[in-house]
Amino acid sequence: MQSITYTRADTPEAAFVAFSNAGEGARYIAGGTTLYDLMKLNIETPLHLIDVSDLNGLDAIETEGDTLRIGAMARMSDVAAHPLIQNDYPVLAESLWKAASQQLRNMATVGGNLLQRTRCIYFRNGAGGISPCNKREPGSGCAATGGLDRGQAVLGASSACTAVFPGDWPVALHALDASVEVEGRDGPRTIPVAELYRLPGETPHIEFSLSPGEIVTAITVPKRPARRSTYHKIRDRESYAFALASAAVVLEMQGDTVLHARVALGGVASIPWRATETEAALVGQPLNRTRALAAGKAAFANARPGRHNAFKLTLGPEVIADALMIAAQRNT
Amino acid sequence: MTLPATPDRPRIDAREKVLGRALYAADIALDRLLHAMTVPATIAKGRVTAIDTALALAEPGVVRIFTHEDFADIAVTPATLGGNQPGLQPMTDTVIHFRGQPVALVVAETLEAAYEAARLVRVSYRAEPFTTAMDEQGADAEPYEITAEAGDAHAALQAAEVTIDGVYTQAQNHHNPIELISTTAYWRAGRLTILEGTQNTSAIKFGTAGALGFDPAIVDAISPYVGGAFGQKNVLQLQSVLVSRAASLLGRPVKLVMPRAQLFHTASHRPRSNHRLQLGASRDGRLAAAIYESDQENARYDHFFGTEHSAMVSRLYGITNWLGRERLIRVDTSPPGHMRAPHEHPASFAFESAIDELAYSLDMDPVALRLINDTDRDPITGKPFSSRTLARCLERGAELFGWDRRHPVPRTMTAEDGTLIGWGVAAGAYKGSMCPAIARLRIQANGVTRLFITGHEMGQGMRSAIAAELMEVLPVNLDKLDIQMGDTTAAAQHLTAGSWGTGSAVPATRAVAEKMKAALTELVGELRAGDDVHRKLMSTKRPMLEVEIEQLGLDQTQAALDRMRQGAPATAGPIYDELVAFSWIAHFVEVRVDPTTMRVRVPRVVSVADCGRVMNRRTATSQVQGGVVWGIGAALLEAAEIDPRYGFIQNNDLADYVVPVNADIGDISVELLDIPDEQLNASGVKGVGEVAMVGAAAAVANAVFHATGKRIRHLPIRIEDLLQET
Repeated sequence: MQSITYTRADTPEAAFVAFSNAGEGARYIAGGTTLYDLMKLNIETPLHLIDVSDLNGLDAIETEGDTLRIGAMARMSDVAAHPLIQNDYPVLAESLWKAASQQLRNMATVGGNLLQRTRCIYFRNGAGGISPCNKREPGSGCAATGGLDRGQAVLGASSACTAVFPGDWPVALHALDASVEVEGRDGPRTIPVAELYRLPGETPHIEFSLSPGEIVTAITVPKRPARRSTYHKIRDRESYAFALASAAVVLEMQGDTVLHARVALGGVASIPWRATETEAALVGQPLNRTRALAAGKAAFANARPGRHNAFKLTLGPEVIADALMIAAQRNT
Repeated sequence: MTLPATPDRPRIDAREKVLGRALYAADIALDRLLHAMTVPATIAKGRVTAIDTALALAEPGVVRIFTHEDFADIAVTPATLGGNQPGLQPMTDTVIHFRGQPVALVVAETLEAAYEAARLVRVSYRAEPFTTAMDEQGADAEPYEITAEAGDAHAALQAAEVTIDGVYTQAQNHHNPIELISTTAYWRAGRLTILEGTQNTSAIKFGTAGALGFDPAIVDAISPYVGGAFGQKNVLQLQSVLVSRAASLLGRPVKLVMPRAQLFHTASHRPRSNHRLQLGASRDGRLAAAIYESDQENARYDHFFGTEHSAMVSRLYGITNWLGRERLIRVDTSPPGHMRAPHEHPASFAFESAIDELAYSLDMDPVALRLINDTDRDPITGKPFSSRTLARCLERGAELFGWDRRHPVPRTMTAEDGTLIGWGVAAGAYKGSMCPAIARLRIQANGVTRLFITGHEMGQGMRSAIAAELMEVLPVNLDKLDIQMGDTTAAAQHLTAGSWGTGSAVPATRAVAEKMKAALTELVGELRAGDDVHRKLMSTKRPMLEVEIEQLGLDQTQAALDRMRQGAPATAGPIYDELVAFSWIAHFVEVRVDPTTMRVRVPRVVSVADCGRVMNRRTATSQVQGGVVWGIGAALLEAAEIDPRYGFIQNNDLADYVVPVNADIGDISVELLDIPDEQLNASGVKGVGEVAMVGAAAAVANAVFHATGKRIRHLPIRIEDLLQET
């Protein structure tokens, strides 16, 4: 049996040292909701687990000056239930409540959730020579192209990979222009969420712009008005399902006129997707559903559907438009 | 005789289950237990050319790795391969019929070692081209068979004033029981005991004995509880015999619990099917003709899973000209099999959708259309029904639902926020079959009562139904009542399926209780209400009294009982000498559809069912609610995602094979007519577990049409089917 070493770290520095010393096959583990799942599917086969779920003080939710700071090891359920998040950042609370199941939210950390891997059915269910996947085995090919691609991305995909980024929370963070604080070989640095994720291009197995052993310690959100916000998620069933299309929307308005609109999309793209075309179409304009839908369509102008996912080009704009109207009706 | 309504009682095993004390087959602890794990084939068709076990055998804790070379002598017998059986015994040769077919069995001291070693077994194959879907090249269609015929359907259709012609499609669906498929086998004192969650311990006993060359008299099969059966656990599983053989060769108990991902490929599923329906009616709504042709996917290697698509729907209304033609289309798939209302669910989706389409063509209310086509005689055989209450189910359901407030034009009922509201109706029926049953009742002076009986408790509440009937005839100490069933050492067992379980066991209970009452009366004189039968017995200085009966289904002879004792099918009905028996149901469904994203929700369902006399209102209601939930899942969510290039079910877990969660289910109001059907049996009982689901998906689809104006003729109905291209 493949033995696995297990180490518990209590500071990010200790975790990084343990990771570096472990050598090949080291993985951090927090809630384990993605890693254990992928180990059972023979997609992840770590040799060393460095448990970072108890890093000292890394589960706090606090405001520091102009920044909301959320420790990476805070549980999804705790962040979703936090009064500050619920009152001032509905988009964040909703993105967490609408993700996974209560049991998973109780285990999973908000830092680990940033690094959740795709649910592409070929990525998950093809190991052991059943079907190729450029994420699992670089260069082997993409089975989803020309296959069962109902769930695949219409934005940001490449000929090597059409997998959708499955998360909700990172989409909401992206809309809020959040950043992540990481620590690694070169000490601490800050990466905007927008830059954490890499488009698949020719190297879909490289998903994050983290260097080896770099660990996410916190998520920071610049404080701007966000009460007029929502995370709207459409899925095959009402709970415990990934998005077919979702939209995180944060509005600042004066009367009916949109001053600022920040819109990010889930379920339709290879990475958390900022709908800049939608935002541009709304700023300075009075908001009504017709305009909202037109703005939503703008985000899909360059979308490239496959065989079974063209409906996302219709669904996506409707989800954006509904999200905009929900957010606009919220009192500040 | 007028049978009284049964009193409201909790499920007899509710406390045991809530406390986690109810032990399922794989929960039973055994000394020196070994753990087994199967190695699934990674090609869809071809042959195994070599199996390299060196790496796997080196794994600490591995005891033995079995391959086809060890199991080649497993006999193919009528009991393992004939009749109502999976049709394939893997690992007896090198042929691969479908992806996921077990090719090796690892046995180890621990579950972890078994898992790991199974991963390390290296199998080489010679792959062959394959076809895994019936609409692809390489699928082999069998000739059509005429399965139902009455009058002259072609002529009547030709002459009809109004006709409907549509093709309806059912997706491949998979059972996902919480109790996974498992087998545990051990030898003790010269007897082989098999523990398996099954609805057919008889098939396990006789099938295993036949396959392994044992005298069935030394093989016992026990299924203490079943956590979800619904037809998936109605035969020998692919691993059952392999585990017994491993236990025999190793001389130690062996247990295999198959992982869920493997179940999608090895345990049975509802196959894809296509249904073409042509209906003809007069302008005033009298149904004159139906021509119903269906194609159903099947595996290449067996004949067992035939089709019966016309059998139920041809009895729903008085259509005197009916032609049913059905055929199988063979592909390289794992064994399809029974799944709750196996043929009745897809047939009712097709037929009851077509009836709804006809109602719109006629500009008639769909309830009214059904009511004017009611019949008290079976249109196929001309015999009377034992009871016919479909009209009452429809009328009562319409009243409870508030159907008279429905505006018939699609897309006209909306909520204040613009949400589209749709109301749909559909009817269903399910055959009233019966099976022999044996019951042995022992009353003890110390307050204990033991009943040994034919039948399996699969969560449907059969123990509660049996207890209700026993208490009515002969009140015993309910706290010390022990009902032993699903156990070939307790009584000869039948396949408990097809909604005949309760209708067979409850009359047998009545008969054995009456025999006991007579025996007691002989000993102690006439029993009075309130007498404690245990004290009465004590007064005679006897520790116990035992009686046994054999009960036959309506019109059955001793031959049926003999067949059952040999593990062979032994059911009668729904067509009896003088009558035809069915359970009836009507479903009324409200859907609400977002006009923008076209997301469908089902906030409200009313179902009115006739299952004869209700033995336990709680368990029967729960059965109907469960059937409706399953219908909603089939209508809106469930489908296996099979890539024809790989023949692999890609969404093989509970996250990606989408079944309803609590948040998908609103109010499901159930009314049970509770009218004893005393022509069918002395207890007046008919089945409820299957009829519960029949028509539910059609009612959802009809409601979706009413809400959106879109007629979707395939299941599941997904968001992309309803979105308007803009």
